[in-house]
Amino acid sequence: MKKLLVTMLLVAATATSAHAGLKVIGRGDAMRLDPSSFPPAMKANYEIVRVKCVKCHTLERTIVAIQTGVAPISGQPFDRNATKAYGIKMLRKPDSNMNKAEVKASVDLMNYLLSESEK
Amino acid sequence: MFLKKHTSAVMFFLGVSLAPLLVPGHADAIPAFSRQHKTECSTCHTIYPELNEFGDAFLKNGYVWPHKKGEAAKGAEPVGNEWAAISGLPQQIPISLTASADLAYDEDAADGNKVDLSARSITLQAGGSFRDLVGFFATYNLYSQGMQRASTLSTPAANTNVPPGNTPDLDELFIVWRQAAGTPINVKVGRFEPKLSLWKKSNRILPVPSYASTTYRVGFSPFSSDATEDGVELNALLGNRLFVAAGVVDRNGQDREDGYGHISYKIGGTDLKGQEPEVDLEHDSIWDFLSVTLGGFGYWGQNGELDGDGISRNRNNFRRIGAEADILYKRLHLKGSGSFGRDSNPDFSLFAASVDSRAYTLEGEYYLGAPVSLVPLFRYEYLNAGYGSVKRLTPGLAYAPLQNLRLSLEYTHSIAPEGTGNIAFASIAFSL
Repeated sequence: MKKLLVTMLLVAATATSAHAGLKVIGRGDAMRLDPSSFPPAMKANYEIVRVKCVKCHTLERTIVAIQTGVAPISGQPFDRNATKAYGIKMLRKPDSNMNKAEVKASVDLMNYLLSESEK
Repeated sequence: MFLKKHTSAVMFFLGVSLAPLLVPGHADAIPAFSRQHKTECSTCHTIYPELNEFGDAFLKNGYVWPHKKGEAAKGAEPVGNEWAAISGLPQQIPISLTASADLAYDEDAADGNKVDLSARSITLQAGGSFRDLVGFFATYNLYSQGMQRASTLSTPAANTNVPPGNTPDLDELFIVWRQAAGTPINVKVGRFEPKLSLWKKSNRILPVPSYASTTYRVGFSPFSSDATEDGVELNALLGNRLFVAAGVVDRNGQDREDGYGHISYKIGGTDLKGQEPEVDLEHDSIWDFLSVTLGGFGYWGQNGELDGDGISRNRNNFRRIGAEADILYKRLHLKGSGSFGRDSNPDFSLFAASVDSRAYTLEGEYYLGAPVSLVPLFRYEYLNAGYGSVKRLTPGLAYAPLQNLRLSLEYTHSIAPEGTGNIAFASIAFSL
């Protein structure tokens, strides 16, 4: 019983310290963020990401990159430089249908999420 | 549920069963890369097999994800994949298949058969890298029938150094020693399309027909700039935007090797290492979306008519000089290509008569992206290979309902000294 309690506490402590600010809902392709605790501006940004980004890829890809700090496909660090680079990539992608304001909102959100995940 | 659980098996079964109805078109766009890197086709392609800017960087990087070189050596391979890192093996069998079928309508068909649905093919492709040190690529024509059949038509593939008694079904097979010995130089060895043009012949939205400026032949000479050949090429990315290549080609019946060179420079856009340009998200600039790539090439070679002993007779010395431009702005993509040539004896005649040639291609594409993956395009071609000028006007449409499935429709109006001609061409192709 004591071992079980210690194990549970360790697991809980690890999970909390890793991504304290990110509330993730669902798994795999259905993975989403719970934006209820986001500031209003970030809630609006999240709506853009939720609608625009999933036209080409799942939100899981973005969430995993933020949680791990590593872009899942390229294996490169996913930091603030990377968020802007990915934003520019999506801006210039002919079929992304994203304008500069939407890309900026997405980059701001990812930077915010990176900050939250570091807490 | 069954479909979900057995998607691969079902796709394979469908591919094999539908193959007799389809025609080919080999490409660099191969799902093996998609599987290897666990990413979608659109990472590297607009409508496959045309490469986008990142795909071009991937190609120039020897089929290794840009910026990745060296990481494996530093132990960056995820736990559980150590066996692959140590042995240098790809984690998945790097093989893909492309199948295609064509329907052609030729109002001037010589045999009166105006509608032809008999062209189809399957091509096997392999591509990947060994521990990011060596890239490899191969295309093998498993089956082809109809107008694209290499063994019955004098295709560019027939120009390669094919051993006697073999058909030129092995179209490409080469390895690239990336950044050899710590230098920026990549060493490519095998059978490949010499780096002359900005675009590989297989990396276009409409691969058939190829551009007149790079695929034309003169007289009986089988040479064309985009034919695959056996050779050794050194290429290098200097800085982030200058690409240079030079190589030699070996062919039967030569008393010296062919030689060629290429240089290209990209202004704006994603650089040749796959890095996005610096864009101010607060202010607009034309360079946010504009990229211009300029290229030039030269090829000097020799061929002849092989006699029964395999000795080249009545030799033809030839050269090609070309200049090209690729302009991308948002959804608009413009390509221009011009080539000039001279052949000393293209008819392999006892009495040599030189021929000057020139050809131009201009193509404009417009990407109607999500939600409709449709690309209307228009191509203009001019060719004078010593027998009068030929002009071709080709409007076309390509549509990709899925990223690995392409439907295309094109119509070509030709104006030649002997008259005009009209051909409509529909094609369906898929890769798996």
